[in-house]
Amino acid sequence: MTTPAASPGELLSRAAGGDQAAWDAIVDRFSGLVWATARTHRLSRADAADVAQTTWLRLVENLDRIRDPERLGAWLATTARHESLRVIRRGGREQPTDEPDLFEAPEDDAVDKLLLEQERDGSLWRAFAALSDRCKTLLRILMADEPPSYEEVGAALGMPVGAIGPTRMRCLERLRRIAGVAELGA
Amino acid sequence: MTSDPTNPDVVDDPLLADLRRLAGAVDPVPAQVTAYARSALGWRRIDAELAELLVDSQLEAPAATRSASDLSRTLTFRSSDLAVDVELQANEEVALLGQLAPAGRAQVEAQRDDGRVVAATESDDLGRFRLELTAGDRIRLVVRREPPAAPVETSWIDI
Repeated sequence: MTTPAASPGELLSRAAGGDQAAWDAIVDRFSGLVWATARTHRLSRADAADVAQTTWLRLVENLDRIRDPERLGAWLATTARHESLRVIRRGGREQPTDEPDLFEAPEDDAVDKLLLEQERDGSLWRAFAALSDRCKTLLRILMADEPPSYEEVGAALGMPVGAIGPTRMRCLERLRRIAGVAELGA
Repeated sequence: MTSDPTNPDVVDDPLLADLRRLAGAVDPVPAQVTAYARSALGWRRIDAELAELLVDSQLEAPAATRSASDLSRTLTFRSSDLAVDVELQANEEVALLGQLAPAGRAQVEAQRDDGRVVAATESDDLGRFRLELTAGDRIRLVVRREPPAAPVETSWIDI
């Protein structure tokens, strides 16, 4: 039985010994971060899935070689970022335009349902889409579930940790202004 | 999930918590990715040694310096006592040209991430080998030399 309190180091060493529950706990904790890292590189959901899968295999390869288990999230984010860049280079694709493609809608009509059912959610999401790429990228990582540390955010985006706090504040302010302060509350 | 004592960065803005909820609805982690990640533990090494990916031209080369006709990709893997240099030449099929160092005969197979061995060969006396692969596969090489040398498995690569 895995308790949520188990440290990454403990989970890693148990997973290296074949403990599936410990491994699942690692996956559950960081899969949102790995996914968001690929998506902020503006990969399609299909390419992001490849990046995420390769990233998890990399961790399995390195289960007994992670030197600093407390920084496992940053290690995964760095690995996912490198893999994302490789996929971009391999594709020889054009650099994405300013089209807000950060969130290609999934196959189902989740967005439509969202907009219809919750007007407030709809205006919040539209406001998010209207932000600059820099803001969308940063906020998308911060939206990962579980919430990432600034070190993990920096690793995912290749961004100095010191720049994250001020940028985050500015982007959230802008989001509030676009969406309407009264509607969303302070 | 708003206050993690080890993580003071993440005193969540309520707006961010709303966005997180929306991201979970609009752009969720695909279920097959989570399932793949969970099953990936089955690939952990038991007896083999890892030959780690040290160089991948697709990771290193700035895109601007590569021409569109430059279809070959070079990779280097290394374990404690074996280096595997690989060149991938992509046409309809992907030819993998390999070189073991130290040179010598060994069984070399390409194992796909569904467990299938998709190609196998033996290196020659000079440590050279060639495998035909399929673009889009994710594989690793497994190199078996004369005992007592332990089997070596390379990092996974996307072909």
